[in-house]
Amino acid sequence: MRRFASILSALYRGEQQIDFPRLWRYALAGSLIVVLISFGSFVFRGVDLGIEFEGGTSWEVPAPRISVAETRDALRDTGAADAKIQTLGGDTIRVRADIEDPAGIDSVRSTLAELAGVTDNDVSVTTVGPSWGSEITGKARNALLAFFALIAVYIAVRLEWKMAVGALVAVIHDIVVSVGFYSLFQFEITPATVIAFLTIMGYSLYDTIVVYDKVREVVGRVTATGRYTYTEMMNLSLNKVLMRSVNTSITSVIPVASMLLIGSFVLGAVTLQEFALALLVGIVVGTYSSLFVAAAVVARMKEREPIYVEIAERIRMRGAQSGDSTRVVAADDATLGSAAATGSGAAAAKTSAGSTPAIPPRPRKTSGRKRR
Amino acid sequence: MQLPGVDEQQRALDLVGQTAELRFRPTLDWLPEQSYQAALETAAGLADLTDDAADDTTDADDAADADSATGEDASGDAADSVADSDAAEPTETGIEVVAETNTETDTETAATDTDEAVLEIDPDALETDTDTDEVVLEIDPDALETDTDEVVLEIDPDALETDAGTDEDAQLEAAEQAQLIVDRFAFSEGDLPADTEVVLPQYDEARNIVARYRLGPTAVTGDGLEGAVAQYQSFIGWHVAPTFISGSSGIDLFNDVGGRCHARGAECPAGQIAIELDNEVVSAPSVQADSAVFEPFDRSSITISGSFTEQEARDIALVLDYGALPVELEAQQSQIVSASLGTDALSAGILAGLIGLGLVSLYLLIYYRLLGLVAIASLGLSGAMLWTIIAWLGESQGLALTLAGVTGLIVAIGVSVDSNVVYFEHLREDVRSGRTLRSAVDRAFPVAFSTIVKADLASLIAAAVLYFLTVGQVRGFALYLGLATILDLVATYFFMGPLIGIISRRSGLYNNPARFGIPMPVSQPQAVVNAQTGDGARTEARQGAAP
Repeated sequence: MRRFASILSALYRGEQQIDFPRLWRYALAGSLIVVLISFGSFVFRGVDLGIEFEGGTSWEVPAPRISVAETRDALRDTGAADAKIQTLGGDTIRVRADIEDPAGIDSVRSTLAELAGVTDNDVSVTTVGPSWGSEITGKARNALLAFFALIAVYIAVRLEWKMAVGALVAVIHDIVVSVGFYSLFQFEITPATVIAFLTIMGYSLYDTIVVYDKVREVVGRVTATGRYTYTEMMNLSLNKVLMRSVNTSITSVIPVASMLLIGSFVLGAVTLQEFALALLVGIVVGTYSSLFVAAAVVARMKEREPIYVEIAERIRMRGAQSGDSTRVVAADDATLGSAAATGSGAAAAKTSAGSTPAIPPRPRKTSGRKRR
Repeated sequence: MQLPGVDEQQRALDLVGQTAELRFRPTLDWLPEQSYQAALETAAGLADLTDDAADDTTDADDAADADSATGEDASGDAADSVADSDAAEPTETGIEVVAETNTETDTETAATDTDEAVLEIDPDALETDTDTDEVVLEIDPDALETDTDEVVLEIDPDALETDAGTDEDAQLEAAEQAQLIVDRFAFSEGDLPADTEVVLPQYDEARNIVARYRLGPTAVTGDGLEGAVAQYQSFIGWHVAPTFISGSSGIDLFNDVGGRCHARGAECPAGQIAIELDNEVVSAPSVQADSAVFEPFDRSSITISGSFTEQEARDIALVLDYGALPVELEAQQSQIVSASLGTDALSAGILAGLIGLGLVSLYLLIYYRLLGLVAIASLGLSGAMLWTIIAWLGESQGLALTLAGVTGLIVAIGVSVDSNVVYFEHLREDVRSGRTLRSAVDRAFPVAFSTIVKADLASLIAAAVLYFLTVGQVRGFALYLGLATILDLVATYFFMGPLIGIISRRSGLYNNPARFGIPMPVSQPQAVVNAQTGDGARTEARQGAAP
């Protein structure tokens, strides 16, 4: 308990020293497993597409005590006996069938109304023509592609292209996991779901960009010392930005969680419930992916750059690196340039972010070791 | 497509399914349906009457002597009338036929041997008063010169079948007139090109025909129209206000036909402009009926009024508005959300939102203390601005708050809080690195703001892409997301930053960063960057405040 309290306290003060790179290994393994499960579910179970994408008619009626079997019996005369019938949230019956003529629709409607003991008007009816669905899907796909393209360009321009790659990988990871979640539990995918996915992507990106911004800031400052690898600098940035990410997630999760709870208690708010669940999963995954997926990808990519290769070499030769835990950037190095008494600190941080140090520091002469 | 005020699915589908071509035509003539049906009936009797009439006219053409028409003391030589002294059989009408009564003849040759003067009477010249038994004979007095002053006509009343004969003729005529009307107002069938005269029906709500309109060629099509709204004005009631596009393809065309109709010229004798949609007349208002001189309309100052109920006015406005589309719409998706389900979702959403807000505020207060208060205030501000804009858009553009919109708003909470968090964390870091709170506040803001802008721009790009490339719910969501992001930027820059700046200068506060939720490190004392202190990290915390 005390340990827990001290962890919290350290987090509150931003003094935690989490070793992210070490966690990355586990995280990436875990992510891979989850992604594989998602794919598998997608392939074998498929997704439950709502009528907005497939066409047909859907009837929803609040009917707390009616079972699926009873509903199917009642519908036998209306030609909808082989419809997809489900209960949502225990209170609502949803029937989906390929009936599109008004007479057929109305007959199912009145049958359901009678069954549930409500008036016709209490039955929600949605009819979708077949071409609508394919159009919506087409539009959604185009929007998604355009979105990815623009975001990639934006990040590449504002930050750097390697970060754009990392961001896209993270976003795709989030989407795959979210869709897999829906597929696994066979939740219905409607336009509202698509919105949820888009929200998740938006959050993930937002988070990732803030992380990257911090990384660039730190890297810009600390690279000049030549004493730390990119990964170590990234570790520092992640630690600094952790609480910010966590806080944002918490403040986003709280309204969504309340939507989820309210939705599960209120009659008829099933859409809200499923939606909230997707959002919840997505936000959590989004935060995780910013810190573990996006960061890891970029670190891997950046370490290959000649400058960082050189630095890593030098450090290894100096023997300063011990084992495979990430060294902590020493406090004075971390704050180098940011707490300077003059006003040049922040400016230096801004201008140096993105520029690589022109002159590597002179190698120290120690006996017995030669630079390769 | 939003149809305000329409809450029945079938009516919505009807209205939407109707939007084919919209045309404005001058009205040549119109007829209430009842009159048409009456004419139809009358014309139907024409078939019976034509047989009788054929007999009548042939008989009447035969010269016939009747017992009845004699002229006593009519001197043959004085008679200008040409007497056809054919011996004719008595006719059914009992009136002998007289040829032209006005012609002069050679009196000598016309001398009759008899004392008889035979009057030929053209039956068409007979004006019958069908209500009585009177038969009025028009005789040109010049044609008759008698020696005496008397002209005596003896007419055998029994021989006169006035009721039958004259009424029949009258009926015949009425039937013929009716047939003309029926032909004139028969509906045009098939493809109706824009430039011909047509006859079109007007329906009431129950789809019964109420009137028939004979219309001239199209003057303006829906292309010339920009839109229409239904409006209410006291003393006038509900009317429709269309807006035409300016220039020669819109308002000028309309004024052209308006002028012609106002003048009730040959092209528009009825003085009305008919609004035709889907080969039906929706409405046929008259043009400036109260003013003697036609004043050309301004493109947006036209009103169509006619004791419309609200429903009628809205329907016409909708028809005009969407009839301006050159496409035909086919219903692809229709959804009735029962009121109870909708309300439940709405109240659930609102409740969830409020609870969520409350909990978030609580968390912020615990974590950031005073700064948390600022964050809540900033949240409230952007919330208020967002609400105002949404309300305004709802009024002016008919923007509806859907579930997607509510989601967008909830996301907006996250976005708004996040920008605060970015700034606060930056502050904390700066203070922990040894800055004073006041300088940290000044220094951190531009840096933090640049981060916020970067991230918010990504959100805005996402929202813009979604808005322009998608339809329906997703589009609504994108709108709310974009709005919330922009407002967040505004609130952060103009409110949150300055507010924190002000607060941090108050003496009681800046000495105590803990109040701001900025704890001082306990285990690791301040690192003062000062190369001369060697490996640093041993000097004490600058503010010396306990965390």
